[in-house]
Amino acid sequence: MAFSSVPAPCPPRLALGSFIEDYANRVDVVTFDEDARAFRPDPSLSFDHPYPPTKLMFHPKPLPNSPSSLLASSGEFLRLWQLNHHGDSSPKVELRAILNNSKSSEFCAPLTSFDWNDAEPRRIGTSSIDTTCTVWDIERGAIETQLIAHDKEVYDIAWGEAGVFASVSADGSVRIFDLRDKEHSTIVYESPRPDTPLLRLAWNKTDLRYMATILMDSNRVVIVDIRSPAVPVAELQRHRASVNAVAWAPQAARHICSAGDDGQALIWEVPASGAAVPPDGIDPALVYTAGAEINQLQWSAAHPDWIGIAFANKVQLLRV
Amino acid sequence: MAAGAGNPEELPKKHLRKQLAATVRNIQWSYAIFWSISTRQQGVLAWSDGYYNGDIKTRKTTQPLEFKADQIALQRSEQLRELYESLLAGDNEQQSTRPSASLSPEDLTGTEWLPGKALASNQQIWLSNAQFADSKLFSRSLLAKTVVCIPFMGGVLELGTTELVLEDPALLQQITTSFWDLPISVCSEQSISSPPLAEKDEDILCPNLDHEIVDTMVLEDHHLMADCLAPLESGPAAIPFGIHSYAHDEENDLIQDKAEEPHTNICEELKIGSSDDSSNECCANQQANDSFTIEGLNGTSQAQNGQLMNDEISNSLHGSLNSNDCISQSFVNPQRFLSCPAGERIKNHVLDSLQEGDYMKLISLDLDGEESHYIKTLAAILMNSKQLTEIPCFPSGSRESSFVVWRRSLNTPKPLSTISQRLLKKILVDTVWMHGGWPLKPQEEDGPHNKVGKSEGDDANASHVLSERRRREKLNEKFLVLRSLVPFVNKVDKASILGDTIEYLKELERRVEELESCRGLGDPEPSGRRMHPDIAERTSDNYGNKKIANGTKPCANKRKAHDIDEAGVEHHCVLSKDGPADVIVTVIEKEVLLELLCPWRECLLLEIIDAISNLHLDPLSVQSSTVDNNLAVTIKAKFKGSVVASPGMIKRTLQRVVELAIIISMQHSSKLLWL
Repeated sequence: MAFSSVPAPCPPRLALGSFIEDYANRVDVVTFDEDARAFRPDPSLSFDHPYPPTKLMFHPKPLPNSPSSLLASSGEFLRLWQLNHHGDSSPKVELRAILNNSKSSEFCAPLTSFDWNDAEPRRIGTSSIDTTCTVWDIERGAIETQLIAHDKEVYDIAWGEAGVFASVSADGSVRIFDLRDKEHSTIVYESPRPDTPLLRLAWNKTDLRYMATILMDSNRVVIVDIRSPAVPVAELQRHRASVNAVAWAPQAARHICSAGDDGQALIWEVPASGAAVPPDGIDPALVYTAGAEINQLQWSAAHPDWIGIAFANKVQLLRV
Repeated sequence: MAAGAGNPEELPKKHLRKQLAATVRNIQWSYAIFWSISTRQQGVLAWSDGYYNGDIKTRKTTQPLEFKADQIALQRSEQLRELYESLLAGDNEQQSTRPSASLSPEDLTGTEWLPGKALASNQQIWLSNAQFADSKLFSRSLLAKTVVCIPFMGGVLELGTTELVLEDPALLQQITTSFWDLPISVCSEQSISSPPLAEKDEDILCPNLDHEIVDTMVLEDHHLMADCLAPLESGPAAIPFGIHSYAHDEENDLIQDKAEEPHTNICEELKIGSSDDSSNECCANQQANDSFTIEGLNGTSQAQNGQLMNDEISNSLHGSLNSNDCISQSFVNPQRFLSCPAGERIKNHVLDSLQEGDYMKLISLDLDGEESHYIKTLAAILMNSKQLTEIPCFPSGSRESSFVVWRRSLNTPKPLSTISQRLLKKILVDTVWMHGGWPLKPQEEDGPHNKVGKSEGDDANASHVLSERRRREKLNEKFLVLRSLVPFVNKVDKASILGDTIEYLKELERRVEELESCRGLGDPEPSGRRMHPDIAERTSDNYGNKKIANGTKPCANKRKAHDIDEAGVEHHCVLSKDGPADVIVTVIEKEVLLELLCPWRECLLLEIIDAISNLHLDPLSVQSSTVDNNLAVTIKAKFKGSVVASPGMIKRTLQRVVELAIIISMQHSSKLLWL
């Protein structure tokens, strides 16, 4: 399941997408009731989604009292959905836009991931397997720019700043792109064995120096400092099996959580720069063991003491 | 004195003047003059700026006081400057020289006179090189009753008043502080008072930084702030080198905020702005913050692009890149200020040297020129990043947590699935096949993809192009084969090949039908044969360029007819007896297909070709073979020119040729017999 946490001040809501290898999938939005410690799905806020959504994300900076919130999903296209909280007259979920970046009508490259720019919420960057990254201006519904980012498929994208994003791809590199200077990109890290794909990327939004990435079939989480490219700050190696997802703490600068196939979610504290790294690696601070391999992990930005994990066909919210 | 007054930047000058004005007004003295170190002469102070706050009483300037007092005062300041210039030229003794300027000393009132003595006194101060907080009071009857000269910011600030004021160090301090603090000002200045830089010496300031400091410090109006803001905002973008410390701050926002918010709020904000790792022990005022350094130096950024890296590096003073990002900058409230008068100066020079040290470090970090793009990016990221409070992530034991503390000895379960990262890979990799049109094979992440009909092959990577090309080649190959199977296909474009094939197939089917019916009826072959030209011609009417290939089929049919139809065989035999050839001519517009079966004779082929060319036919291809003393020829020919011979004519011609050939050969042989 792919899901996201919503940065809403009110009780946390999660959008959960199903992963059925078929055309028909659904996205459910559930609310978590903190007091009752229970999920309350909202049936009217459940909608069909063609193909499994590879990522879901709510609008990072919603207006405080707006009646509706925007949810974006990526599949074969980037879709924007508007969820209306109140009001019975209007439909609860409407598809606001389908953003299709293919030039021909026949094919589109499926999107592997996308990221909503916190600093400039009208920008969404998408990554796709046709090696390009597309930056959308969702207010105009048009492409701002499209870059050929890598030599191979791009697997993840993350914004750092209003005009800067980074992406990882199957060619094993993390590259930073600056929209002001589209001709150049900088490789910040490359996987040690060439052509080991890097599957996911997370940019620490509180401390933009750090990024975390995970390699394919590897139990390591690589922390990279963007000021010193090519040499990772740390490699977190305490997982017993390969890592599936990473997420930085939304408000603390040095905490990161990772989850993997060993069914564990580990919270680590990345050492401050300049501090010595113990020779046998950094130990995580906290651990949670789930019953099955954890496939997805999200650290809620609005409720920083909740982490959501998805394993098997369950979703759990963990309190930190 | 262009040296002093003609500063490269207009802005600082105005600022200075306004500062002076404000200061003087503040303490209600008569005038304030700032003397700065002359760039012209060694050891001489030059007039920097002045402001007069008193009455104007010379006869030269009997202007109505409709001008604002400011303007008048400024004007007067100008005049004073001129006077001073002249005085200086005259080597500054009080009444030694007679200036030829517009003003003569006597013109000035007691309050206005700008004495060489003051200059002298300044010089004295200057020459004695004390550079200490010094002040002198003069009581002179001619002059302002009190003149205070304060060494200040690398120059001397002179203030004068008509009243007799006793020496008052407190006043001095107040002056110096109030110099910076402007009544209208919305922002406070900063001083960097980081511990390692602790020094109380006020005036070791690089002179060339004076103006910049002045620049930044005086943010009195919105205008000024706007001016400052503009260079500041472009500053970060112009910084060529990245920030190698945690040079975060919302400095731009901060400054803009200042415009709107009251003073105190700013201080609070900045206090809140948390720092980073190692600065926790600093006092409340401290923020890991170099914004004002940047601000300060940005004013010169346009002038001194080269040294821009200095500012952000100022944070990384202590060698390691960010071991100490804590250059605390305490925002100075006027209320709070008096505690450390010396602290308010920006220790720019110290920073300067440190910056340069770090500059070297930067260079040693192997950043070559090509990385400048990245560095710009880094600068952008790190400058604009907002600094958030570090909320402690784990309140220890205050609430229940789902997590437990990690211990190495914890027995963790082995991987539960044989395929690692199964779902993740599925999301990333296998979604491909789910979308229509993509190939179904499970794709290796690092293998080339086979994309069917992807029109974005140009954009995709090279492997897509290759596979696309392969596909195309396969198709082309098959088209070629088809073309060779279907006669009469002379055009190479795929559409026509396909079209011709279709027609050929239809034709064949028709013929099969006929033959089957023929077989049943026992129709002689000639009828079949006769049909061919008709068919050919008919078809040529109906289907423009499309060729209906009768091809070798007629021959084959003929032969079949031999087998099946006795009449055909007889015919054939008859033909061979008579000598004429078995000729089938198919004409489609300008193209002709000739099939000839005849007894073989020497040079027969040449004759045939000759005859054909006489018919204005251009042979394109000739297939001939001799089987059982029979010559079978298939000729594809094209009419050259506009003359088109009818099939019948061609046939007759050919038959004649064959007959002729036979006759000749028979004659030959008979001649031989005769001989």
